[in-house]
Amino acid sequence: MSDLNLDPTQLDRYSRHIIMDDVGPEGQKALLDADVLVLGAGGLGSPIVQYLAAAGVGRLGIADDDVVERSNLQRQIVHADADVGRPKVESAAEFVAELNPDVTVDAHETRVTADNVDELLADYDFVVDGSDNFETRFLVNDACTLAGVPFTHGAIYRFEGQITSFTEGQPCYRCLFPEAPPAGEIPDCSEAGVLGVLPGTVGCIQATETVKWILQDAGLAPEADTLDGRMIFYDAMAMTFEDVPVQPDPDCPVCGDDPAISSVQDVEYVETCAIGAD
Amino acid sequence: MEWKLFANLKEVVGQSEVEVDVQSGETFGDALDALLEAHPELAAEVLNDDGELRDHIRVLHNGDNPFVSAEGRDTELEAGDELALFPPVSGG
Repeated sequence: MSDLNLDPTQLDRYSRHIIMDDVGPEGQKALLDADVLVLGAGGLGSPIVQYLAAAGVGRLGIADDDVVERSNLQRQIVHADADVGRPKVESAAEFVAELNPDVTVDAHETRVTADNVDELLADYDFVVDGSDNFETRFLVNDACTLAGVPFTHGAIYRFEGQITSFTEGQPCYRCLFPEAPPAGEIPDCSEAGVLGVLPGTVGCIQATETVKWILQDAGLAPEADTLDGRMIFYDAMAMTFEDVPVQPDPDCPVCGDDPAISSVQDVEYVETCAIGAD
Repeated sequence: MEWKLFANLKEVVGQSEVEVDVQSGETFGDALDALLEAHPELAAEVLNDDGELRDHIRVLHNGDNPFVSAEGRDTELEAGDELALFPPVSGG
């Protein structure tokens, strides 16, 4: 084990991982060597950041341009009452620092835009989309798909969640939804409300997908089945999980046979995120 | 045959499952028309001005997108088929 450079404290801290054949010291080393970018430090980002930090993901990028509001605290459990008014990336980074000294946090206090997304993604192996608006979601899909960066997607609405992963090139989010709905048509959490624990469930599934991807990338967990090619619909009210296929669309504007989008600069990420929107 | 509705589509109708009187041999388009006839309040949410499905609305027939893997509105249905209609959501 010494050749994997896990020190005695790490062997203890991660012993419940290391003891499993599907993780072992190699898998833990892969987690410690992984660079993961979490987009959004809100309801989804909170459990994602917490579990990835606890798992020992060595470098966590956290991107968010919001400050903590009191109305966030019902679900955004990485922030505390005293954090109201502070940048979310700051309190999230502090949480990680207190939880696990093995994890380095890159706090990106910025809104992800077409102008900075490529540079932001370039430093990471895997992206977790826990953002809170369609513009960012379509931008993240397009940028990750074009750059070949695997990512997992989670989104919430009142009592419902949608979770999927795109790690094998095809399909992508636009195969399922070619364009976003017009602004305001499907209300966000501030307009529609959201069950506080809902993003906990959805974010934990996204964190699970991330850890499994890292293990599989290291040649481990051969039986692991990810959410590639399928989307989970979680209904907290009915307490049901439904699993539907996500099929590659030959007409997809990003990953189809004759894609119209070859760069995020081809799209205006406003309103419906259409090509050449004006 | 039963339609399942998600997110705001479910809320517009007020229920998540809607039974429609469509027989084997009829088409996906027939089932969609029957749903919208029973719940006309849904039409503005799912159809554009040309009466086609809006770009952000997805449909499923037994878990598959009939517009990708079958004949779209002309896809023939069989008794017991499951149909679904859902939008993307964005909250985080």
